Amino acid sequence: MNNDAVAVCSGVTRTYQEDSVPVHALRGVDFTFSRGDFVSLTGPSGSGKSTLLNILGGLDRPDSGTVSVDGVALNDLNETQLSDLRLAKMGFVFQSYNLIPVLSAQENVEFIMQLQGVAPAERAERAVATLAALDMADLAHRRPGELSGGQQQRVAIARAIVTDPVLLLADEPSANLDSATTEDLLRLLRRLNEERGVSVLTATHDPMVMKYAHRRVNLRDGAIVEDSAADGV
Amino acid sequence: MAEAAVAAGGRGARAGRPLLPAVAWRNLWRNGRRTWLTAGGIAFTVFLIVFSMSFQRGAYVQMIDNATALLSGHLQIQNRHYVEDKRVEQTVADVSRLVNRLEGQPGVESVAPRVEAFALVSAGERAFGAQVLGVDPERERRTVRFFDRVAEGRMIEGMTDAVVGEVLASNLGIGVGGEIVLLGTGKEGGVAALALDVVGVFRTGIPDLDRAMVAAPLAMVRDAFGLGDEAHTLVVRSAEVTESARLERQLDDWLPAPLIARNWDEVMPDIRQGIEIDRIGGYFVYGLIAIVVIFSVVNSFIMTVFERTREFGMLRAIGMRPGRIVLMVQIEAAFVWVLGAAIGLALALPIVLWLQVYGFYLGDEVASMVESMYVPARLHTRMTPVALGLAPAVMLVGTQIAALIPSLKIRRLQPVTALRAEE
Ligand SMILES: Nc1ncnc2c1ncn2[C@@H]1O[C@H](COP(=O)(O)OP(=O)(O)OP(=O)(O)O)[C@@H](O)[C@H]1O
Ligand SMILES: [Mg+2]
Repeated sequence: MNNDAVAVCSGVTRTYQEDSVPVHALRGVDFTFSRGDFVSLTGPSGSGKSTLLNILGGLDRPDSGTVSVDGVALNDLNETQLSDLRLAKMGFVFQSYNLIPVLSAQENVEFIMQLQGVAPAERAERAVATLAALDMADLAHRRPGELSGGQQQRVAIARAIVTDPVLLLADEPSANLDSATTEDLLRLLRRLNEERGVSVLTATHDPMVMKYAHRRVNLRDGAIVEDSAADGV
Repeated sequence: MAEAAVAAGGRGARAGRPLLPAVAWRNLWRNGRRTWLTAGGIAFTVFLIVFSMSFQRGAYVQMIDNATALLSGHLQIQNRHYVEDKRVEQTVADVSRLVNRLEGQPGVESVAPRVEAFALVSAGERAFGAQVLGVDPERERRTVRFFDRVAEGRMIEGMTDAVVGEVLASNLGIGVGGEIVLLGTGKEGGVAALALDVVGVFRTGIPDLDRAMVAAPLAMVRDAFGLGDEAHTLVVRSAEVTESARLERQLDDWLPAPLIARNWDEVMPDIRQGIEIDRIGGYFVYGLIAIVVIFSVVNSFIMTVFERTREFGMLRAIGMRPGRIVLMVQIEAAFVWVLGAAIGLALALPIVLWLQVYGFYLGDEVASMVESMYVPARLHTRMTPVALGLAPAVMLVGTQIAALIPSLKIRRLQPVTALRAEE
């Protein structure tokens, strides 16, 4: 595993105004994410996990501090450039509402490649292959509404990795799933991390994640209080 | 049902199918009822406007046709000075030769020369002022339909025959078989006098004609008013009344000064104005209907966009540019328009085409009310490219703008905020 940094943030702060009361979601976070890492971001509710994930993913901007992904300083990018960067370098898996409801699983996976301008034939081929790798080949033609929560998350993961992103960001991907399905999903992420070298950063409450991650970053009140190798290694 | 068809077609996930139109089309059927309502509004507007415009166009053409066919013809050729000041000496000269040459002009069907003069018409003790027309009955019959309007008696044949308007005849207290004397001023200023036998009484429904017009043989009137191979007006019939404006320009270039050609709309400006007012009134009503329907489309797209805030947030998050999302919504609007316009046209076309061939009867009451505006009792619609295309074009632009209004919000959409929306 090489150790070059794919994402670096230093001195990142983010304050929200909630009814004119400032909420310090992040209070100066320094964090380096290496290629091939599998990091679990833990901490109590409201500790700033989603905020950090969003800032790393170029979905939100820090109030101060710098963020760079794959050598690109996000602070310098405008909205369109950020959007293009997300398309080119990030894979996202959210807690829910990941998929376009009117497209089949395969079409959802193809959709992101179409946004990237991948040629039609290659698009279909890669979508089929990725879904097959995630044991979703038989369900490729079902729409999200005809899939279980765990199956939907698999499709979301397929879409997130089919573009070979430098970083897969998952914000509580298993929050709506039962524990067996969660374990399945984590095993899958671990496998993708090991076999394909996908760099994974997942925010979670779930202690089970610790079994699968290499590294655990614990947030409390918007600051990193612990950054250690996890049991999974 | 449309959804099922598309879904079935889409399930195959054919490689290379562009996904944006597929997404847009399928999105319509997430709320099929709303889509049908919106498309229904568009269909209704398209149907109504296409039908009404074809109806108006048909009525206009027939009005113009009736008005021109009655007496004044499609075009008139006159001495420019006569148009300005209707004096008896401002004539078209060398009429026989000119008529022959005119009939050789492409687009000219027939030509009828007329002498027009003012005279006092008397019968016994009574006398009224009237317009005297000197006409060539045979040429008139080929050029206008005036002589179909002879309600009693017959058309002019002999040299002393005259036909008079119905109201004039009753004012004079005469009928078919009566005698009238015309007194006027000739070309050289002398007295023009003419004694004629009334062989027919005409009824046109146009008060001015029925009350104050007498027609007599061209030669007799020329003679009485001291005119040679002259006329005041050459009435021209073109192959199609819709071609008359073009023919006017053609003849204007061809005619020697001081002769000019005047299209029917110059000769009868009130008809033209009546049509213009009706046309503008029509556009006003159509505009209102279109605006109301377009507002309902705006409303429907506000709902659509609002309901999908989180989906759009997700699409923004995975890197879809706002412009692409807006494009997707515009494609949705275009599909709704296609549905609506297709239904509207599918309903309007057969009806309009049927009525174009068979027409429909206005009813006696309406028919007599509109007679003086030259509207026929049996109306035929008339399909023109404008009548057919205007409403669909306006609704296309309208629905695109309607969809754009809410989707401009998408440009300002923050993915994080959108994804957090009402969990
Ligand atoms: N858009 C926002 N507007 C206002 N406050 C916000 C916003 N986003 C986050 N916050 C606040 O910032 C703090 C950190 O939120 P964040 O979502 O990062 O926490 P989290 O660790 O992901 O929590 P959870 O485990 O519940 O998902 C919280 O107090 C939250 O209320
Ligand atoms: Mg969170």
